[in-house]
Formats: sequence, C-alpha cells, structure tokens
Amino acid sequence: MKTPKNVETHVWRGGIPLESRYTAGLGGQIFFQALKERGELVGTRCAACKQVYVPARAFCERCFAELTEEVKVSPEGTLVSFTFSAYDRDANRLAEPVALALVKLDGATTTMLHRLLRVTSPEQVRIGARVKVVLKPKAKRTGSILDIEGFQLA
Amino acid sequence: MNGRVGIIGIGYTAAQPTTPYSSFKELMFEAAQRAYFDAGIDAAEVESFVTCAEDLNTGLSIFDEYTPDQLGAVQKPMHTLTQDGLHGIADAVMQIKSGLVEVVAVEAHSKASNILTPDWILDYAVDPIFNRPLGFNPHALAGLEMNLFLHETGITPQQVSQVAAKNRTNALRNPLAAYPARLTADDTAAGPYAHYPLRETEMAQTADGCVVVVLASDDKARAAASQPLWVRGIGFANDSPTLESRDWVHAEYTRIAAQMAYRMAGITNPAREIDFFEVDDTYAYKELQHLIALGLYPNRPGEAGRALEQGLTRPDGKTPVNVSGGCLGLGWTLEASGLYRIVELVLQLRGQAGPRQLPGAKMGLAQSWRGVPTTSGAVAILSSEQKPWE
Ligand SMILES: [Zn+2]
Repeated sequence: MKTPKNVETHVWRGGIPLESRYTAGLGGQIFFQALKERGELVGTRCAACKQVYVPARAFCERCFAELTEEVKVSPEGTLVSFTFSAYDRDANRLAEPVALALVKLDGATTTMLHRLLRVTSPEQVRIGARVKVVLKPKAKRTGSILDIEGFQLA
Repeated sequence: MNGRVGIIGIGYTAAQPTTPYSSFKELMFEAAQRAYFDAGIDAAEVESFVTCAEDLNTGLSIFDEYTPDQLGAVQKPMHTLTQDGLHGIADAVMQIKSGLVEVVAVEAHSKASNILTPDWILDYAVDPIFNRPLGFNPHALAGLEMNLFLHETGITPQQVSQVAAKNRTNALRNPLAAYPARLTADDTAAGPYAHYPLRETEMAQTADGCVVVVLASDDKARAAASQPLWVRGIGFANDSPTLESRDWVHAEYTRIAAQMAYRMAGITNPAREIDFFEVDDTYAYKELQHLIALGLYPNRPGEAGRALEQGLTRPDGKTPVNVSGGCLGLGWTLEASGLYRIVELVLQLRGQAGPRQLPGAKMGLAQSWRGVPTTSGAVAILSSEQKPWE
C-alpha cells in the first residue's frame, strides 16, 4: 500500500475501567489476621523441604504438599538487596527516589519486599545490614500488606 | 518420518521507535509476506500458525481472535501464546515433531509506540495482594535484582555499563536496529540512575516491529527455496513466580531451559561448541546473568565481567554476544524480542549478515526472558548443519 504523504495519521484512543477483586486465600488469611490482630509475622513450614514461607501459604511450591504448620518468625532480619527507584508507576520521575528492600526475616527461608524507611541515598545502606519491621499502630491496621510501614535499619 | 525440524523462512520489518502509518495487522502482513517469499511457499501451504502476544500490550482482550487474517490463517489451525516468540518456536517444533503438521508459521510483533501506560501494564502483573499495594514502578525489580547480582558475583557497575556500550555500538552495523549509537562505557556510566544501581542507559527502549518465522519438517525443509537452518535444541522453563521465593541471583529459568536444549543438541561444552549468542539484555546486567546461566563461565560467574572487559564477547571476540545490538541497540520489541534473535541467527548462519557477518559461524544460540516481573525463559539452538548421526 502507498504511504500517505503529508496526511495526518489516524489514531483512535480507547480504554476500559479495569478493576478486580483478589482473594487472599487460606494462607493469606492466616498471615493477615496475625498481622492485624497480634502484629506478628506468620508463615507456614514445609518440614520435608526445610522451608518456612512468609507470608504463609497453603501449599509448598517445591514438593507440592499441603502446608498446615504455622510458624511465627522474627520481626528482624537481614537485608538481601535494595534499590532506590526514581520512578512512579505512571513512569514519572520522582522528586525523591523511593527505597525498596528485599529482606530475609530471621526464621524465614523466603524474602519479603517492602519499603526501606528513613534512608535517602544508597551510601547509607549495605547488603547484609540488619533491619527490623516497622508496623502501623494496631488501631490503623486493616489486614493488608500496608499494615507494615516498611523496614528500617536496625 | 524423522524428528528434524528446520527453519525455512524468515520475514521481518525493521525495529523502529514508532510506526505511525502501519497498523499492527499491516506490520504482520508485511513480515508474513516476506517470510513466505523467503521460504518459497504460498500462505496456503502453511498448515498451522502460532502467534505470541500479551493481551494488554496489544490494547485488546482475547487477542488471538485478531490474528488469523493478516497471516493467511483464516480457517486454519492457529493459537496464541502469551509468551516471548521463542516459546512459539518451541510450540512449532512440537507440532512438527508430533507429525501433526509439516509447516508452521510463528509470529510475534510489537506496537509498543501505541501502548500509552506500559508501566501500569507491568504493575498489573505484580502480585496484587503482597506486592502491588506498595506502589512501586515495576522496573525497580530489575534494580533490586541487579544490586544483589553484582554483590554476589563481583561483577562491577562499570562492566554493566560496558554491556550497554557494546550492544548500542554493535547496532551500528545492523540496519534493522532502532537505537544504534557509538558509545563507550564512560558514556553509558554517566547516565542517571533509574532504579539504583540500574542506570537509564542500561535499560532497553521499546521499539515497534514484527517477525514471522516458518518452520518445516525435514522433507519440506530440504525442498525449501532458502537454505534451511536446523533446530538442534530447544528448551523453556520458569523459576518460582513469587518475588518471595525466586532465585534473585541466578537466572534459573535460563539455566534449566539451556540444559533442556543442550541435552537435545548433544552439547556438553557450550562455550566451545556454539559460535555466537543472542541473549536477553532488556537490562544490561541481564546479558551477563543470562550468559552465566547458559553455562559459559562454569568455574566462576565473575568471569562473565572479565570476559566482557577483555573483548571476548565483542563481534571480533572468541564468543560474540548480541552482534545484532540486542534489545539495547535494536530495541525492545516485547514478545518479538526472541524472534529478532532468531532472525540474527538465521542471517549469520546463512552468511547474509552483511557488515556484521561472523566468519565461519555454524551454530548459534538464542535465549529469551519475558521481562519483569516474570521468571520465564526459553533457549533455541540453530545450526547450518544437521547432527551427523541423524
Ligand atoms: Zn515442600
């Protein structure tokens, strides 16, 4: 076909309202209930695989077993990795980058992603540092991952 | 019937930052026409079609319903994979090896310039209960992974910058590339951080484009108009999907996919037996991580950085990597990325790669990753020679 010359290209814009509900499930329920009511971090253990999954899960991804043994893990842990992200989800550059931390809580074999609080530059942070969970006060907790404010350097 | 599968035709458009005149269907029509012409067949001779696309990237739901007409696939067997194009190659190989059909066309394209909210689409792929509420830009996951990868392997930020410089520079010799630039590691290391320690200059920019690859059984391939290239090995795998329990240092999805492909191809020493590599470099550090997972540096992963510094992965080095320019130089064409790597393999193995032709290339490897937040990968090994015992 001939490419049009000096002709405005025709485009149409479209979109839909896209919203969903997500069920936390039995595993998620255990985790969020403990977090909201007791301020505790609860996982499930697979004894066969020597895994402690936090947040709690209903099944083991390694051996396919149903998991029933609940385990409370420590609110302290080790910084596995971190980043300072300079963009928001809408791809706008932020005035101040957001710090994110990947943390292995003591007693867990999995890592947990959350914000890293009270740091402003990478020079203040090192992989392997000790960190601790900062929770919202009980009155403000709703049973969400945001009941955790984030991690802070211990 | 034996189990050999050959690639008998490729068709493609150049990767471009934007394609304002052509609709995605017209890009596909162009690439398909070229592929069938290259193979010396009519569209009617293609028995089955595989397209690779993500609904939200196309701005449509149930995208597979939008694909038959522009490929000549109306009233024919066809389906869509929500995967990179290399998975489509694996799909075609299985269809042919099963004896179900003898000629399959695999298509993938990108019309990324029409995606108005790309980071929101990636965000919608992040776990909605445990991760998405944090409200971070999904590319930050690459920053997190890169930081740990450097920490564990001893690979330096300068070496990662050098990957970006190499691939942008390689793209200068590729007329299909959207982002060629003569850059040094100092140039790319001067870019601002996007997701520390990942710099803007170390992230591939999206491009539009389309590739169609025609595969055929041994008999059909021998009769093809163009020199057939043989699929010697194919593999695909995933790590754990969750951010909580995946491996953040090693690209396990690539290691497992490569083991599958090596087993099929009878390869025991990939660095010695394979002449060149086209691997995912959506983020520059990923090239090094993927080469390690492919088993090129079995003794110490840090060698990946030193090999790069010594120029071993340059086009004139012992193990050329991303001679095409990779995603960094050619452009990140979303699901079509793996098929652009197949295009490079085919051109090199046919001796049609022009100014970037690698002398004596007989076997090449293509590897793909589906991008953040996934752990989905595939590997394909092509050769101009059949296995001697087949
Ligand atoms: Zn288990």
